[in-house]
Amino acid sequence: MKRILIVEDNELNRDMLTRRLVRKDYSVASVDDGQKALDYLEQEIPDIILMDMDLPVLNGWQTCQAVRKNQKTRDIPIIALTAHAMSDDKQKAIEAGCNDYATKPIDFPKLIEQIESLT
Amino acid sequence: MRELARLQSLQVKTGQLLTKSRLDEILRSDIEKLYNALEQNVNKFEQLHQDGESLETLDDPARRHDIRNAIGIARGYAELIKETETLPTATLSNLLDKIILWTNKSLNILERSAKPRFDPNKFSVTSSDNEDFEGNILILDDQPANRDILGRHIRNLGLNTFACANATEAFSVLENNDIDLILLDLVMPEMSGHEVLARLKTSELWRAVPVIVISGLGEQAEVIKCIEAGAEDYLQKPFNSVLLKARLRAGLNRKRWVDKERHLSNELEKSHRFIKNTFGRYLSTEIVNNLLEKPHGLDMGGSLQTVTILMADIRSFTTISEKLSPQNVVLLLNNYLGIMAEVIMEHSGIVDEFIGDAILALFGAPVANPNDTDNAIRCAIAMQHKMEEVNHLNREQGLPEIQIGIGLNTGEVVAGNIGSSKRSKYGVVGHTVNLTSRVEDQTEKGEILATQATLEQSNLTLSLGRTLELKPKGVSEVVRVSAVNEITSAIDKKQKSKQNTG
Repeated sequence: MKRILIVEDNELNRDMLTRRLVRKDYSVASVDDGQKALDYLEQEIPDIILMDMDLPVLNGWQTCQAVRKNQKTRDIPIIALTAHAMSDDKQKAIEAGCNDYATKPIDFPKLIEQIESLT
Repeated sequence: MRELARLQSLQVKTGQLLTKSRLDEILRSDIEKLYNALEQNVNKFEQLHQDGESLETLDDPARRHDIRNAIGIARGYAELIKETETLPTATLSNLLDKIILWTNKSLNILERSAKPRFDPNKFSVTSSDNEDFEGNILILDDQPANRDILGRHIRNLGLNTFACANATEAFSVLENNDIDLILLDLVMPEMSGHEVLARLKTSELWRAVPVIVISGLGEQAEVIKCIEAGAEDYLQKPFNSVLLKARLRAGLNRKRWVDKERHLSNELEKSHRFIKNTFGRYLSTEIVNNLLEKPHGLDMGGSLQTVTILMADIRSFTTISEKLSPQNVVLLLNNYLGIMAEVIMEHSGIVDEFIGDAILALFGAPVANPNDTDNAIRCAIAMQHKMEEVNHLNREQGLPEIQIGIGLNTGEVVAGNIGSSKRSKYGVVGHTVNLTSRVEDQTEKGEILATQATLEQSNLTLSLGRTLELKPKGVSEVVRVSAVNEITSAIDKKQKSKQNTG
């Protein structure tokens, strides 16, 4: 079973994504800020990270960079969950080391495709 | 706010489901979450309403993000329940569809209003907006996974993709589609990327399509070979999507300029052909080229221009033609007019009209030239000399010999396209034209008569013959005309006066 870490501060969004992914037979863990994500990664190495970019404490870009800098975690694929279809968030996410991005509102079947192609 | 009213009713119905139905635990929990998500939406829409805003008018990016997120969550739960419930009740299934429909509609409204408003400062060919980032990209890669990932990346950029597993497929796609750029894998079993590239670059049709080579690590030598063979750029696996985007953009821009250039050169070709067809028959090459260089010379709405007009006709033509068969009259005229037209063109004049045996030629229209008058005089003299050749031809064909008289006059005319939109012709009208005709009437066989106006305009030193004072019909003043015999000096008057003073 593939393990996914969701980093997302919006509770409903986190819950919704978790539920949907669990029903697709993924094992899902979730945290609500960037620092907690780094703490989690100290203990566990998931197969992929879904990361909201608009996070409190440590934002998505900073978190991404930290994940990439760490020898232990730098190969974990990251999909950025970005907010604006029109903004340069995507570009920034890729520059910060994300492998792919999904624009909110999430197109779920496409997200599954993305997860599968990266894991 | 229609969205709000609809949303509230959907929320109420979702709430009713929770109280009325017997639900299993998972479904109940999902529906509760959906209810919460809808409630969150209601709050946000109410807030929007209170602020006098709507989805259409909302400008603040943070609030747009917020509301998009909320709508997305509601849709996520509705979709989740739909996916989970294999046998939903009709009421549930109906309600979920309505909720999803509402979310999609609302998101559409939000996205539509998000289109950047037209900003003339930003509007340029090199604009880097995703808006004008479009094109058909052919991906040729034998690995399905690569095709898939690349395809998804590229489609996310708003581009169309055509994925091909082998060269045969790729060439068939190229034949049937307007491909703007090719992403080419190097190592393929059937035909290597290098071979495909070679074939592309020798094709007239596809040579201009940019090719970006996709290489793995350690394929440096092959990449260099490809770039030498005409590939535009290369990308290394695994793909970095920022690089991919930048290279696609550069490649597409190049293609766009090539297309534009091609289009412009076609247009130019077309307009050149048009000008040549329209004017080539009676303009000298020099004038046609001049027109092509200065296309505004063609804006002929009718303009006042100073021109020198040359009129020539065969003296006693009526008497001559009466003795000939119609076929021979035509033969005679063709010998004469053909040779004369050539002489006129050689002297940068245009044959405006053949009227029976008469020729009306213009010097100085449609394009004016400082030597127009001199050219006209030289032309008239050359025409008289050329009559020997015409008569030689006539004798050979058993036709009578002919002589011409030439009248020259210089003055202002209205020049332009005259006629209706269905049939119009470049021509000149005005007193100067009529006067030329009167002057020409007075010529004897082999004579050239030029008005004072023409002689004054000329820089040539001429030997003149008889002088006449004409009082043509409808002209109040007396018109002085002189017979032009020959050019006595090739050096023009101005140069001569310079030499004298110097």
